[in-house]
Amino acid sequence: MIAPSLLLAAFVMCYPFYEIVKLSMHEVSRFGMLRAFTGTANFASVLADATFQASLWRTLIWTFFVVGGTLVISIPAAVVLNLDFAGRGIARAIVMLPWSVSLSMASIVWLWSFNADYGMVNAILQSLGLISRGVPWMARPETAFPIEIAVGVIVSIPFTTTILLGGLSSIPGDIYEAARIDGAGAFQQFRALTLPLLRSFINIAVILNVIHVFNSFPIIWIMTQGGPNEGTHILITYLYDLAFRLGRPGPAAAISLIMLAIVFVFTFVYLRMQARERT
Amino acid sequence: MKRTAWLGGIAAALIAFAAPAKADTVRVTVSFYSAATGPYFEKMAAEFSKANPGHEIKIEVVNWNALLQKLQTDISGNANSDISIIGTRWLLDFVRDDLIEPLDGYMNPAFRERFIGTFLKPAEIKGKVYGLPIAASARGLYYNKAMLTAAGFPNGPKTWDELVAAAEKIKAAGGNGFGVQGKGTETDVYWYYSLWSHGGDVVSPDGKAAFNSPAGVKTLSLYKSIVDRGLSQPGVTDYDRTDLQNLFKQGRIGMVITAPFLINQIAKEVPTLEYGIAPVPAGTNSSTYAVTDSVVLFKNSKVKATAWKFLDYIFTGPPRIEFTKAEGFLPTTKAEAADPYFTGNERLQTFVNLLPNAHFAPTITGWEDTAKAVTNAAQSVYLGQATPEAALKKAEEEANKALNK
Repeated sequence: MIAPSLLLAAFVMCYPFYEIVKLSMHEVSRFGMLRAFTGTANFASVLADATFQASLWRTLIWTFFVVGGTLVISIPAAVVLNLDFAGRGIARAIVMLPWSVSLSMASIVWLWSFNADYGMVNAILQSLGLISRGVPWMARPETAFPIEIAVGVIVSIPFTTTILLGGLSSIPGDIYEAARIDGAGAFQQFRALTLPLLRSFINIAVILNVIHVFNSFPIIWIMTQGGPNEGTHILITYLYDLAFRLGRPGPAAAISLIMLAIVFVFTFVYLRMQARERT
Repeated sequence: MKRTAWLGGIAAALIAFAAPAKADTVRVTVSFYSAATGPYFEKMAAEFSKANPGHEIKIEVVNWNALLQKLQTDISGNANSDISIIGTRWLLDFVRDDLIEPLDGYMNPAFRERFIGTFLKPAEIKGKVYGLPIAASARGLYYNKAMLTAAGFPNGPKTWDELVAAAEKIKAAGGNGFGVQGKGTETDVYWYYSLWSHGGDVVSPDGKAAFNSPAGVKTLSLYKSIVDRGLSQPGVTDYDRTDLQNLFKQGRIGMVITAPFLINQIAKEVPTLEYGIAPVPAGTNSSTYAVTDSVVLFKNSKVKATAWKFLDYIFTGPPRIEFTKAEGFLPTTKAEAADPYFTGNERLQTFVNLLPNAHFAPTITGWEDTAKAVTNAAQSVYLGQATPEAALKKAEEEANKALNK
């Protein structure tokens, strides 16, 4: 009975995968024409490429800090939003609002905010007397990349907070009452009750965010296109640069398979680690 | 994909029922040069349909930065338009995959005669013409009259030494002297201006990287010292061409090298700005960069005859004059060049006069890779990450990996 839909699903998933594998093992023209079968040559050239190596390392930094930063902010935010206080509805709405703005638009707005000549950030710093002339934030990778990470954190908070809020609402209130009677303080309650009970939700948030952030293209592409001097490329932006600017779909396909493998291994290892800790 | 094809099929069937005569629909992809581009081509399409009842021209306007990617995906999916504007420097990739129709069979001598000779050349590969020059531009030095007069060069600097001297004066008065582009398309070209005018070249006649030369090191060092001494705008790697043009329009920078279309933008946005245009400063010689965009006919088009008819139409006198005037490009046909608007326009004539010494981007494989390698080299030098010597050596190695492969 389910065979047709299973077949369809298999086709939808397998066909692009098959195409990418095929591209990655050929010399391919800009317009997708297969030239010569090259086996693993694309993989070898990509792995030996210094920009690829730097981008891979930067992707790990990017993913770690965006996901880590998001959790560090989202967990307290979710706990606070779970409390019963006047104006909670409004506060929740405000936290969720960035979600309704498209990622590209949010990136453009932040790019403008950090503009050297007319940006809101420089204007504020100048009016506070902290700087005398506008700082060209996006001119150097050392300032541009942390800003991109911060934007990544900001746009990831709503989704993560939502997951965690869902988790918090599933924790019954009476266990806190029992803890209070036993003399546990607020922080102890958080560590001994909230965090462990929230664990599976945090795990979901980590995995979904890692997969999403690892593959997140718009923020970096819109704000710096991976530059200056390739100093802000992560794998996905480098892949795009290779495929569409330099017209080399072959190596780009190889990178996308490497990325797939990385995400797959991460998810597997992370889940195994979590499972072991629990037993 | 499947679904659009289906819908397209149904639509085609409906149209076939509705119109008894053979009606062709020609899809045309054009790049967004300015707000005037879309309306211009829509108007041409309407006029063409009126003169050729039953035929329809469908215009699709695409942002320049997304154009190549769009064509790439369209072609891979066999869903490309019949006609498209492309950067002439991309042409070789298209020709190598046999995607573009050579136009020699369509052009009679009278048609060829319409063009200014040099402009048909860039789109010629192995003796065949693959594209028609829809847009042409060259580069000149825009200077702010007030700032340069105060600096002692009321007619703009003639040489790079004068440019540096002027920038020093402007800096001493608290301004930004010479705008250096450090980001985006043509960051490499912005350095080639000085490379070429010091006798250097980007690619040698035998197709090897040639920019790592004494002239290359000298001119990149020149730009580095301009950046390091604060004679440019601060944070050059944050400024693409549009950003530089904006600085110039706001009167916040003394000198900028860019294309003729800035004239139209200034006339529209800041008509009070006093400025002049001079040739790119000379080193050992004077030189500039010229660019054409081509309009091409795809081989898989099923309506080539009608498509050619439309091309023929937009390359007649009045449509050409209207287009080039509105976009602020240079004339590519003789009819435009003879029009009083161009003959009487001193600013545009400055650019036209530069054309004999202009370098065109060569149609060779690996040009985009070279552009990227040189852009990275320039950025690393402006950021202080590498010396000009080291950066150019690295870029040379990278460029040679891709050139003529």
